[in-house]
Amino acid sequence: MLGRVWRNVLAIIRELSDENAYARHLAHHGCNHSPQEYRRFQAEHFGRKYKRARCC
Amino acid sequence: MNKLTGNVLGGLCAVVGAFALAGIALNRDEPVNSMWLVVASVCVYLTGYRFYASWIAAKVMTLNDERATPAERLRNGHDYEPTNKWIVFGHHFAAIAGPGPLVGPTLAAQFGYLPGTLWIIAGCVLGGAIQDFVVLFCSVRRDGKSLGQMAREEIGKVGGMTALITVLLIMIILLAVVALVVVNALNHSPWGTFTIAATMPIAIFMGLYLRYFRPGRVLEVSLIGFLMILGSIFAGEWVANSPTWAPVFTISAIGLAWSVIAYGFAASALPVWLLLAPRDYLSTFVKLGVVLLLAIGILVVQPQMQMPALSRFIDGTGPVFAGSVFPFCFITIACGAISGFHSLISSGTTPKMIAKESHILPVGYGSMLLEGFVGIMAMIAACVLEPGVYFAINSPAGVVGATAEAAVSTITGWGFPVTADTMAQLAKSVGEESLFYRTGGAPSLALGMAHIFSKGGGGEALLGFWYHFAIMFEALFILTVIDAGTRVGRFMLQDLLGQIYAPLGRTSWMPSVIGSSAAIVLSWGYFLIQGVRDPLGGINSLWPLFGIANQLLAIIALCVCTTVLVKMHRARYIWITLLPMCCLITVTFTAALQKIFSPSPRIGFLAAAENSTNPTIVFNNQLDAALCGLFLVLVTTILVDSGRQWIGILRGSRAANSMETPFVASQLRAEEV
Repeated sequence: MLGRVWRNVLAIIRELSDENAYARHLAHHGCNHSPQEYRRFQAEHFGRKYKRARCC
Repeated sequence: MNKLTGNVLGGLCAVVGAFALAGIALNRDEPVNSMWLVVASVCVYLTGYRFYASWIAAKVMTLNDERATPAERLRNGHDYEPTNKWIVFGHHFAAIAGPGPLVGPTLAAQFGYLPGTLWIIAGCVLGGAIQDFVVLFCSVRRDGKSLGQMAREEIGKVGGMTALITVLLIMIILLAVVALVVVNALNHSPWGTFTIAATMPIAIFMGLYLRYFRPGRVLEVSLIGFLMILGSIFAGEWVANSPTWAPVFTISAIGLAWSVIAYGFAASALPVWLLLAPRDYLSTFVKLGVVLLLAIGILVVQPQMQMPALSRFIDGTGPVFAGSVFPFCFITIACGAISGFHSLISSGTTPKMIAKESHILPVGYGSMLLEGFVGIMAMIAACVLEPGVYFAINSPAGVVGATAEAAVSTITGWGFPVTADTMAQLAKSVGEESLFYRTGGAPSLALGMAHIFSKGGGGEALLGFWYHFAIMFEALFILTVIDAGTRVGRFMLQDLLGQIYAPLGRTSWMPSVIGSSAAIVLSWGYFLIQGVRDPLGGINSLWPLFGIANQLLAIIALCVCTTVLVKMHRARYIWITLLPMCCLITVTFTAALQKIFSPSPRIGFLAAAENSTNPTIVFNNQLDAALCGLFLVLVTTILVDSGRQWIGILRGSRAANSMETPFVASQLRAEEV
C-alpha cells in the first residue's frame, strides 16, 4: 500500500517536471536523449504548455 | 471496498461532519479549535464525493469505461495521452491551485471565520466541484474541446466570442490584483524584496543549467534552485540589517509596481526556457510542498481560532473591503469555493489525459475538494492571529488612520484590542519595519502560517524565517501567474487581432509580439497603479472586481453544462448545474450592481467618482463601473442565448444537436493505466 502511494507520488512529480512528457516525446520521435533533442522538446512542449490559461 | 462498506463509511462521515459543523456554527462562548474546521470540511467533502458526485457519475453522466476517451482515440504522444488517474489528479490539482484560495479566505476572515468556512464547504461540494466535474465530462465527450469552443458549438457564435472576450478581461483584472498583493507584501520590506528579486537570477540559472549544462535534469535543478532560494531567505535577513544594502532593497509601493510591470513585459517577451519554465517548475514544487507542510502543521499544532465566528463587519462596514456578508463574502472567497477559471483547466490539458471515463470523478470533483481544503487552511491561518493584529495588518491608512497610534485606537475601538507596542514587537520579530497597512492578505496569511510553522518547530526564534518563507512562497507563484498569464493574454490578444490584420496574429512576428505584450502589460499595469494609488488600499476595489469577473465566468461554464445536459435529454437533472448557476447569478449580479450603483463611496464606483475632486480617481472609478457593467452585459448575452436554446429544445421547436462524439469501444486494458 505505502509502496504504491510512493510510486504514485514519484509519478506525479515526474509528470509535473515534464519528465514523462519528454519520455513520450522520445518514444514518439523514436530517438534517444541528447542535449539537442531536449532543446527540440522544450521548443515544442513549452510552445503548447504556455499558451494555456493559468488558474487563479 | 464493497458498496455496503462504502455506504456505511460515507454515512459515518456524514454524521461526524454534521456534528462538527454544528460545533463550529453554534459555539459562541469560547474559542474554537481549528480541528473542528478540518474535521467538518473533510467529512462533508467525503460525504459529497461518496453520495452526491458518485450518484451524478452513475445516473446523470452514465460514465462508461467501455467508451474510448479522446486520450485513447486521438493519442499523439503530445497532448493526447492516456495517463494514470493519480498522475492526472496531481497534474490537474497543480494547475487549478493558484493564489485565489489562499488570499480570498484570508480577506473574507474580516466577517469572522463562520461565513467563509460555510461557503467554502457548501459552495465547493454543490457548486465548484460540480462545475469542474461536469465541464471535464463535457470536454472528454467532445474530443477535449475548450470551454470557448463548447460555448460556440453548443450555444452559438455569440456565446463563443463572448466567452473569449470575458476570459481576456478577467485575465487583465486577475493579473492586476495578484500583482497588487505582491506589491503590498513587499512594500518597504528589504528582506522580502531581496528574496523575491533573487528568484529571478536563480530561475535564469536554472534555465541555462537545463538548456546547456544538464539538459533534462528538471528535478535535480529544481532541488538546487530550492536550496538557493532558502539561502536567499537567510541572505535577505543580512541585507535587511545592512546599512549599505537595506536602502537599495527598500522600495516604495509605486516603485515595486513599475518593477513588476517591467518584469511582466520581459517575462512575456523572453524565451520561455530562460525564465518562465524554470520558475514554473520551482513554483509548482514549492506550492505543493508548502500546502502539504501547512496541512501537517495544522494537524500537529491544532491552533485555536482567535477570530470570532461572526464579526461586527458582516454589516458591510469592514476595513479590509467594504460590503456586507451577502453578497461580498461569496465574491471574496471566489476560487476557494467556485472558480470560473477552473473551467478553462477542465477543458484544457486534463480532458486530453483522461484514460477512462470513471477517472473524471476523482480528477474533476476530487481535485476541487482538495482546493476547497486549501481554502479552509488559509482561513485557519488567518484566524489564528489575534483579530486586532489581523485588522492592523489588513486595514488601509485611509480607514484606520495614518499613524500607528490612530490605527490601534480605531481598531481597539471596534472591540479588537491591539497596541502599538504589540505591533512593533511583532514587526521586529519578523524582520520588518512595520506591519501596519499591509493590505492584500499575503502578509497576514504569511504571519498566520509563520505562527503555525514556528509552533511546529523552531519557536519564536524562527518566526522571521517562516514569515519570509511564506512571503516567498506566495510571491513566487503569484509572479509565475503574472508572467504566464501575461504570455497567455498576449496570445489571446494576437488571436483577436489576427482576425483584423493577419500578420498581427503571427506569434513569431516581433512587432506583433512586442506590441501585444506591451498592450497586455499596460492594461493590467494600469489597474495595478490605480490600486497602489487608491487611498483605500486598492484591494477594496480590485478584489471584488476580480471576484465578480471570476464568478461570472463560472456562470458561463455552468450555462454550457446545463445546455449539454438539456441536449443529452437529461432535463430532469438540470438542477445539478442550474441551482448553483442561479445561486451565482443572484450573488454576482447583486454584488456587481452594488459595486456600480451603491450610494456608499466605499462600495459604489459611481458614488466614489462623484465623491472625489481628483480627476484621476473620478476616471478610475468610472472605468471600474464601466468594466463591471460590461461583464454583466456579456454574461447576460450568454444567459439569454442559452435560455432560448433550452426552452426551444424542451418545447420541441428546436433540435437538440449535441456535439458529443459517437461511441467508440475502448481497447485500453486496465493495467495500461
